[in-house]
Amino acid sequence: MTVFADVNYFEPWWIQILKALVIFAVIFGMLPILTVYERKLLGRFQHRYGPNRVGPYGLMQPLAEIVKFARKEAFRPTTSVGFLFRLAPALSIMTAVGGLALIPWGNVQDIFGTRVGLYGIDVSIGPLYVFALGGISFYGILLGGWASGSKYSFLGSMRAAAQLISYEVSQGLALVGVLITAQTLSLTGIVNAQRGMWYFIPQIAGFLIFLVASFAETNRAPFDLVEADAELVGGYFTEYGGTGFVAYLFAEYVNMMVVSAMAATLFLGGWLLPFGIHPPGWVDPFVVIAKMMLFMSLFIWIRATLPRLRYDQLMSFGWKVLLPLATLNLLVTAIIVVA
Amino acid sequence: MSVVMFFIAAAVAIAGAIGVVALRNPLYAVLALVCHLVALAALFLLLRAEFVAAAQVVVYAGAVMVLYVFVVAYVGGGDELAGRSALRILGPLFALALAVELFIAMLGSALAGIRGYGAPYKLGFGTPEQIGRLFLTDYLFPFEAASLLLLVAAVGAIVLARRRRGLEEGALELKDLLAAPRPAYTGTIAEGAGVRRVREALEQSHGGVTEVVGAAVAGAAVGGPTGSAHVDQPEGER
Repeated sequence: MTVFADVNYFEPWWIQILKALVIFAVIFGMLPILTVYERKLLGRFQHRYGPNRVGPYGLMQPLAEIVKFARKEAFRPTTSVGFLFRLAPALSIMTAVGGLALIPWGNVQDIFGTRVGLYGIDVSIGPLYVFALGGISFYGILLGGWASGSKYSFLGSMRAAAQLISYEVSQGLALVGVLITAQTLSLTGIVNAQRGMWYFIPQIAGFLIFLVASFAETNRAPFDLVEADAELVGGYFTEYGGTGFVAYLFAEYVNMMVVSAMAATLFLGGWLLPFGIHPPGWVDPFVVIAKMMLFMSLFIWIRATLPRLRYDQLMSFGWKVLLPLATLNLLVTAIIVVA
Repeated sequence: MSVVMFFIAAAVAIAGAIGVVALRNPLYAVLALVCHLVALAALFLLLRAEFVAAAQVVVYAGAVMVLYVFVVAYVGGGDELAGRSALRILGPLFALALAVELFIAMLGSALAGIRGYGAPYKLGFGTPEQIGRLFLTDYLFPFEAASLLLLVAAVGAIVLARRRRGLEEGALELKDLLAAPRPAYTGTIAEGAGVRRVREALEQSHGGVTEVVGAAVAGAAVGGPTGSAHVDQPEGER
């Protein structure tokens, strides 16, 4: 009898569980640091200090906030639908965390005589896995907004549905250019194919389209119409407090990390270093994290810089500009690769 | 392990399918359909069809069903379906016919497969590479025919949407949009403050703002009544 989906695994089961735990622990260790990083950076962009009261340089701020959120009373509006109201944030965070499994932090390493791939899984469908999870994560937002039984939440979730579908198409098409150039769907394969040249040079159009679509996919400024606080209070999570809110917040940050790491993997050569530097294998994850932080900083920078788009601008930009550009990029790439 | 996974996925798939039919609330019915589709994707994974599983989730659960949820959540639940229509009788009949057809197909082909061990697994089965190769060699004609059909459907959807709303007589066309970058009073603070309503009311009662304002100014000059209650001219009242 064959075990469920054991095609691409050469590792024993306990290593896979250990890898999952390590990735989970590292990412969830980084999450609070990222929240305070974003707030500090935003403060600097706006000529203020940012959080600086709790602990040295305000670094203990997330700790205090997690305690605050966890101790909040769990309430819900009388108009809400109970089980969906509780299920939706859980769905959001689960699909976000699932995306972490795909990110290659390094090549296959020899650790104490055991061969371990420094990634969760290396599936043959590659990025499609992330898109599948993204497809399910819609329901976290949609149901959260619908089940809240409030106008603002509902409007936010309806915006989310239209926005996420529109930009997923462009994101996927931008990515196909990379897949054609690398001629593989495996993410480790894509990184290895970038040894000569990182793909953000030949695929510069795809890179920019992917980045812009990623901002929309993660509901970040300037595409954060979904949670536009000037119009919708908080969008789909208006009615959430305490742990439900934290789940949505963390899901957004994990999604940002996954998208950043994907961009680093697909366009910036993953764990590779430029100029032919070959560090020992244990450096690889730090290289990926450094590149990921580069994109995270870009996310925060853009949030501090650009104003929010209007909704019709968002839609027409997605369908009339981004999608034709992505299609054109795909066509040109295909012609160049074949010719 | 795979047997356990199979029975979990199969149970969820059947429960979801029953839920689609049995639940009265349309949103719950759609959600049950989503559960069903995701469970089907898990079954595809068990058959080593990774690409089909991903496509199932991306296309059906992630795009088609999101639009279903979108529409159902917007329109809301209709309380009752068509009460005494032909559908009441025809629906079960069609369902029965489909069920009979499915049972014939299953009894004809699937029963024979229970005895065997199924097709052997070959390395590379179900990967995108193999599926792409099959599409462009053995199944080229059906593949091209399906893509043409999808193109026709997409074009048809756009044409129908254009006919349903917009582009009637005097509607803005592309050349008009190019000539005037933005129609007047769209997306401005003036509109939010209700200037347009005031202006339209003026136009209906007095035939144009400019005339009214001109009359008001003229009236102020001669010291008579302004002729308009809407245009407040302090000079005219003195």
